Amino acid sequence: MKGRLLDLVLVLGGLLMIAPLVWLIVTALAEPINAFQLPPQWIPQPPSLQNFQQVPDLIPFARMAWNSLQIAVLTTAGALLTSALAAYAFSRLRFPGRDQIFSVLLAALVVPVQLTVVPIFIMMRWLHLTDTTVAIWLPALVNVFGIFFLRQYIASIPRELDEAAIMDGAGHFWILFRVILPLARPGLTALGIFVFEASWNNFFWPYIFLSSPEKMTLPVGLVSLQGAIGGGPAVVLFAAITLVVLPILVLFLIFQRSFIASIATTGLRA
Amino acid sequence: MKPQRRDWLPGYLFISPAVLLFVVFVAGPLVAAFGLSLFHWDLLSTPEFAGLDNFHQLVTDSATIRAVVNTFVFAIASVVTHIGIGMLLALGVHRTMTRGTKYFVRTAYFFPFLVSWAAVALIWKYALDPTFGLVTHYLSSVGLPTTNWLASPTWALPTLIVVDWWHTIGYTFIILLAGLQTVPAQLHEAARVDGANAWWRFWSVTLPVMSPTIFFATVITFIGAFQIFDPMVIMTQGGPDGATRSIVQYTYEKGFQSFEVGYAAALSLVLFVVIMLVTGLQFRLSRRWVHS
Repeated sequence: MKGRLLDLVLVLGGLLMIAPLVWLIVTALAEPINAFQLPPQWIPQPPSLQNFQQVPDLIPFARMAWNSLQIAVLTTAGALLTSALAAYAFSRLRFPGRDQIFSVLLAALVVPVQLTVVPIFIMMRWLHLTDTTVAIWLPALVNVFGIFFLRQYIASIPRELDEAAIMDGAGHFWILFRVILPLARPGLTALGIFVFEASWNNFFWPYIFLSSPEKMTLPVGLVSLQGAIGGGPAVVLFAAITLVVLPILVLFLIFQRSFIASIATTGLRA
Repeated sequence: MKPQRRDWLPGYLFISPAVLLFVVFVAGPLVAAFGLSLFHWDLLSTPEFAGLDNFHQLVTDSATIRAVVNTFVFAIASVVTHIGIGMLLALGVHRTMTRGTKYFVRTAYFFPFLVSWAAVALIWKYALDPTFGLVTHYLSSVGLPTTNWLASPTWALPTLIVVDWWHTIGYTFIILLAGLQTVPAQLHEAARVDGANAWWRFWSVTLPVMSPTIFFATVITFIGAFQIFDPMVIMTQGGPDGATRSIVQYTYEKGFQSFEVGYAAALSLVLFVVIMLVTGLQFRLSRRWVHS
C-alpha cells in the first residue's frame, strides 16, 4: 500500500515533468487565435498546421537543421577518431613522455571552454573563420574526456588479443580498427551519443561565433526567431521549438536504452 | 616481449592529431587568456599593456561581485537540490514497480535533459509569463500567491534554479540510479538478517557503496552549474538589474558586446580558478567520506 502511494507520487511528478512539453506541442498545433488561452486547452480544437508552415517564412529552418546536423556529425566522427587513436597509444604503446603527456591532457579536464573562447574567437577572426560552421566543429575535434574515457575502456580489453595479432604480423592500425574498436563498440556508442547530443544542443559556442541566419544552428536559430517575432505571434516560435524537440523525442523513445546507458556509463566511468 | 622502440613512431603518430588540436585549441588559448588578461584591448586598436589593472577592476567592479555571488548561489543550490531530489527519485524508482510505471517515470524525468537549453529556456519563458503563462494561471487557480517571476529581483534567480531542475535533474537521477544498481543485494540481505531497519540499511550499506557515484555527481553538477549561461541570456538577460547575471554571462558581455577583451579574459580566469579550487577541495574532502 505504501509502495502504491509512492508510485502514484512518482507518476504524478512525471506527468508534471511532461506537462510543459505537451503544452508546447498543443500550442504549436493550435490556431493562432486559440493559442495561449487560459485555462490552457490540453487538446487542440481543431488542430492546425498553419503555425508550422509559417516557420520557414521567418527563419531558414531547414538550413539551420542542416548546419546543426553537419556540425554534430563532423564533431562526433572527428572526436571519436582522434580520441580512439590517442587512447590506443596511451593504453597500448610505450613511448617516452607517454604518461606525462597523458597527465597534461587529463589536467585540462578542468579547463572550461569559457576560458578558451576569447582567445579562440580572436584566432578565428584573424583566420576569417568567424560566422562559419568550421569555427564550431574544428575546436571540438579534440575531446579530452573522450581520450580518457576510451583509454579506460581499451584498458579493460585483454592484451592477449592484440598480442596474438602482432604475432600474425598485424600493424597497429589494423589492430586498432579490426580488433580493439569492434570490442570497444559499447564504449564508442556511449561516447558517440554523448558527444553528438552535446554538439546538437550546444548554445554557448554557436551563439558567440555565428551571426548570419544561414550559418546558425537550431538552438541559436530558435533564440533569433524569438527576437525576430518580437511582440508578434509566439505560436510560430512554439511550432519551431516543436520541430526541434520532436525528432529528439522520437529518437529517444526508439533508442532509449542506448541513451540512458550512454549517460550512465560516460558518467560512471569518469 | 616485443622490442619497445618499435612503439615510438606509431605512439607519437597516433597521439599527434589529438595533441596538435589540444595545443591549438586548449593549451595555447589557456596561455593566451593569461596573457590577454594583462592588456586593455578592444579588438581594433593596438593592445595596451595594463599590468594587473584588470584584476584590480575585478575586485572593485560591483557587477563582477554580483555575478560571482549569483553563480555561487546557483551552483550551491543546484548541487544540494539535484543530489537530494535525484537521490529520492533514484530510490523511488529502484523498487519493485510494474515495468510500465518504471518506463514512464524514467522517461518522463530523464527526457528534458536531452532538450537543448535554448528550447527549454524559451518554453519556460512563455510558461512563466505573467499574463498568458500557465504557471501563473495554475498557481493562482489553486490559491497560491504568484508574481512576475522573471522580473522580480528576489524571485528571478530562484525561478531559474527551478527551471534548471526541470532540465537537469534527469541527468543526476540516471547517474544515481545506475550507482544504486551496483549495490549488491547480498549486502542488504545480510544487514536485514542482522536486524537492520530500512533507514539503517540505507545509511550503512547503500550510502557507502554509492559514495563514489554521489561524489562524481557532485563534482560534475558543480562544474556544470558554475558554467551556467544559456537560461540567463535567453530568459532574463541577466536582469532584473543584474539579479541573475552569471560569471560566464558577464564574461560574454565584456568580451563580445563591449569588447573589453582583457577584462573578459580576467573574468574567465576567475571562473577557471574557482572551478579548480572547488574541485580540488571536493577531492580533498572526499577522502573522508568516499569509499573507493
